[in-house]
Amino acid sequence: MIPKTKSLVLSMGLAALLAGCAHPSSSKEQDHGIANGKMESMLHSRSDSPVHTIVMPHDEPVFPPGSGRDEFVTACVVCHSPRYITMQPRFSRTTWLSEVKKMKDVYGAHISDEQVLKITDYLVSINGQTGTGQGPKGTYGE
Amino acid sequence: MNRRKFLQLMGATSVVALTASCNRNSSVMGALPGPTELARFPEKTEMILLTDRPPQLETPIHYFRQDLTPNEAFFVRWHLEGLPTSVDLRSFRLNVSGHVRQTLQLSMDELRSRFDPISIVAVNQCSGNSRSFFGPRVPGGQWKHGAVGNAKWTGVPMKSILDRAQVKEGAVDVSFNGLDAPPLPSVADFVKALSIDHARDGEVMIAYAMNDQPLPMVNGFPLRLVVPGWYGTYWVKALSDITVLPQAFSNFWTDKAYRIPTAPNGTESPKDLAKDTVPINRFNVRSIFVRPDSDEMLYSGAPTEIEGVAFDSGYGIRRVEVSTDGGTTWVDARLDPEIGKYSWRRWRALWTPRKLGHYRLMARATNAVGDTQSKEQWNRSGFMWNVIQQVDVKVG
Repeated sequence: MIPKTKSLVLSMGLAALLAGCAHPSSSKEQDHGIANGKMESMLHSRSDSPVHTIVMPHDEPVFPPGSGRDEFVTACVVCHSPRYITMQPRFSRTTWLSEVKKMKDVYGAHISDEQVLKITDYLVSINGQTGTGQGPKGTYGE
Repeated sequence: MNRRKFLQLMGATSVVALTASCNRNSSVMGALPGPTELARFPEKTEMILLTDRPPQLETPIHYFRQDLTPNEAFFVRWHLEGLPTSVDLRSFRLNVSGHVRQTLQLSMDELRSRFDPISIVAVNQCSGNSRSFFGPRVPGGQWKHGAVGNAKWTGVPMKSILDRAQVKEGAVDVSFNGLDAPPLPSVADFVKALSIDHARDGEVMIAYAMNDQPLPMVNGFPLRLVVPGWYGTYWVKALSDITVLPQAFSNFWTDKAYRIPTAPNGTESPKDLAKDTVPINRFNVRSIFVRPDSDEMLYSGAPTEIEGVAFDSGYGIRRVEVSTDGGTTWVDARLDPEIGKYSWRRWRALWTPRKLGHYRLMARATNAVGDTQSKEQWNRSGFMWNVIQQVDVKVG
């Protein structure tokens, strides 16, 4: 299974993730009556109740060891599920690099240029094409 | 990489602490991403899982045998991790502000009691529906043909609300924001806009009911913008804030995202990307096979019902032709009665294959202004797919 060092890093990644979970904008919650995180009425909120609540399922894939995995877990999974990677076809390095750069430059992911390259390496290793294909560059909002 | 090992690892470890802290239950969802993984989300039936956070769920095609797509099976697509999971209707308000004389803070009760309701049956389709069929493949939600649905929407015309707010002279655009929130401050909040004329056309509406029921949370409870004939990106979910603007709206989700080349059906070449793009807008014409399935076994001499749905942006479907020989010959399908101009329209053709072997079925829809489906199509974002669909079947 996962070597000890990887487990440790995984825990760190999860800690970052937890911060992400707690995030959903608290000012907005007050403004609009969202009460994120109330467990009690969640499973049985009745249709005539003024408070309508759901519990989102949470069961995300854990990624295999590899160079760049640590950066991937801490930087990417804060904002979205790893399924954003696994649902894609095997893209070329060009395409993956473009996607990772977009996360940094457009969405403000907290990663250095060096980490961009490491994450790209990792994505290519788990879901990329070998060789130097010139796949399409990603765009926005897709 | 060894796929089996990969799957084992993904199925194996932790995320337990995470689950607890996030107040999300560890559920029936399988942990192994595969070609067609199914998942059951709150208030939803089993759907095709693209992503879980934020959720993107695709409708299995067999639900399209019904004219109105059941709420529990209607496709789901969110952009931002912070989608609402609880709404208190005692404190929820729809806020209308900006370039108006009278700002409004409307409760759900007020929306129901102080405005005359309307109902419209309308298709909602994701801009990227069928993206996985583009070649070369493009990044994004890898939808097959199920990021679409047809529902009866009930609520208040946007015009009634804007009239109540008394829009000032010189209004240009109206923007729409929902309760969802970005995971990082650097990520643009998901806000979309329509022109003031479009918003006041009497058909754009705010829906509080979907097929006569409250919307499922993941489909936009308690209110959703309905923009008949336009792509789903404009149908803002969990709508909470409407702002009338005296200038053109501008933000990331309009200026950079959701743009299409200006050529018909948003087509461009991978080798020569279009210089000019515009915000995605109205649906093009398309048809979707409902049955038979491509892996269905058919029998020679047995009458087989070929069936599908076709729609456009509101001109109306006038003709659907079906081919059972890969496009060499075509026959007209029978059209079910029109449900409404923004609804899809069902078509059927009875076919009795006479010989054993492989057949390629195709269907081509044409609307009231003569627009029909693409033979070839590609764009960098994977939007507006409307290539004539092919279904390969075997007759035994």
